[in-house]
Amino acid sequence: MPSALSLQGLTKRYGTLTAVDRFSLEVERGTVFGLLGPNGAGKTTLIKMLTTTMRPTEGDAYIEGRSVVSAGRRVRELIGVVPQENNLDRYLTARENLVLHARMHGIPSRDYVRSIDELLELTGLAGRRNDFPDTFSGGMQRRLVVARALVHKPRLLFLDEPTTGLDPQSRRALWEHIRTLRSEMTIFLTTHYMDEADSLCDRIVIMDHGKALVDGSATELKSQFAPPHIYELEVKRDAERYEELFRALPVVTSLERDKEAFRIVLKDEESLKLLLDSIRSGDIRKICTVEPSLEQVFLDLTGKAVRE
Amino acid sequence: MMLRGATAIFWRDLIVLRRSLLSELLAVVASPLTLYLAFGFGLKGYISSVDGVPYAIFIAPGLISMTAVLAAFEEGAWSMWFHRRVQKTIEEYRVTPITVYDIVVGKLFSGFFQGGIKGVAVAIIIFILTPFRFPLAHLFIYLLFIGLGAMIFSCLGTICGTLMDKPEALGRIQTVVIMPLIFMSGIFFPLSSYPPAVLPYIRLLPTTALFEGARLALLSGRGGILPLAILTVTAPIMFALAVVVFNKKIEE
Repeated sequence: MPSALSLQGLTKRYGTLTAVDRFSLEVERGTVFGLLGPNGAGKTTLIKMLTTTMRPTEGDAYIEGRSVVSAGRRVRELIGVVPQENNLDRYLTARENLVLHARMHGIPSRDYVRSIDELLELTGLAGRRNDFPDTFSGGMQRRLVVARALVHKPRLLFLDEPTTGLDPQSRRALWEHIRTLRSEMTIFLTTHYMDEADSLCDRIVIMDHGKALVDGSATELKSQFAPPHIYELEVKRDAERYEELFRALPVVTSLERDKEAFRIVLKDEESLKLLLDSIRSGDIRKICTVEPSLEQVFLDLTGKAVRE
Repeated sequence: MMLRGATAIFWRDLIVLRRSLLSELLAVVASPLTLYLAFGFGLKGYISSVDGVPYAIFIAPGLISMTAVLAAFEEGAWSMWFHRRVQKTIEEYRVTPITVYDIVVGKLFSGFFQGGIKGVAVAIIIFILTPFRFPLAHLFIYLLFIGLGAMIFSCLGTICGTLMDKPEALGRIQTVVIMPLIFMSGIFFPLSSYPPAVLPYIRLLPTTALFEGARLALLSGRGGILPLAILTVTAPIMFALAVVVFNKKIEE
């Protein structure tokens, strides 16, 4: 399948700081691609270069075969962008915001009138079409920004942290909407929510310090990088004594304790018997397996230190 | 299509202006009208005429011109600042297939149009309240001066709105640079009041060329070659500067 997006050694330097370092990537058409990384990893700089608002220091990227360096205007015809912030025009109504976008894309009014009404309907904003965005909730504003990015039917949609600041209901509603789009276009998503990436993305790249660290589906990343034998164990008494005891066991590779609850990573499946044998009968309140999570993979790869 | 983005931005500004036209006009008429009443009527008994022109008539063209170019400056400056720093809509414009020229030209159209509407509003009030009249044939050359002046001030506003990140800085520029330049250009007094050693420099100011030329154009039908030449050279320079500054700033 041809690539919707091709990055070839894309680099951005600010003086001595390299924000994006020779980044290469191919994204197939119709993919929901997720780019994850801690603050300062280079995600925003990468998106700015791909959406032609920043020139790369070196390298190039091609969107549907068009260079972001030499064919910026053509690239901007093919992309839709949902930025981190809701940059709606508060002096225009919801509908006028979409009309302005259509006019900037040179769409004749006979073509955009119906499609804008359909988009407002689809995003649940039809009843508020003549209201100003300032009167909308955060979720409604976000849906309007998504609708605006779709007015010109882009081939590649960039969603930069699309659900940040939304309540769980609004997040789920937006996820559903994004799922309906995947058959029509390629989606490039950045997010800090691992469950979002896990739920929506066909393919995930985790980046840090301007470079890609890993690349694969959520399932692949979890099976490849997350330890498989994780258990949650809660004891009724003597938690301190059990902590010492577990730490002494050679089959325990990692141990975290919160009062009576333990999170234990074992070497292999057979190690569980040895662990259970070390606990007095009647002392176990609860024991269960823990599914490997994308968040664990993310933290293992990028570290737990808080970034600025 | 050429200037597709510029016309889209102009369309947007027209919609917003239409919604607040009455309050905008009331606010914009208040200041020149106060100046006209204070100087035109208040000083009438002390200054009967300037170069043979009654003082109330002498200051009227300058006040109309000042309203128009200040409106162009304010639209360029505050609108650009607001779109860039507050709404961040400039970022939305930049991911659509329009150019930097479109954005600057769109703002130029808006500044020009707002300047025109507000200038006409002040002119109508002055016509109603005073005996100030002029032959219609003089209007064409006067509009040429105002057009060039609005372009210069709109571009200057765009540059300020692009470079200034804080609103108080914009206010300071208006107080410390724009208003003195306007007042120094002889709206309220004849240029002959300046010492002979200073006068040649004052005449070279684009604001002097604008206000002096516009007054001559309206009252006598002749704006003068030097003022027109100064404005014709300054306007494209300011436009180029606005495009370069805007382009440079948004790439940071």
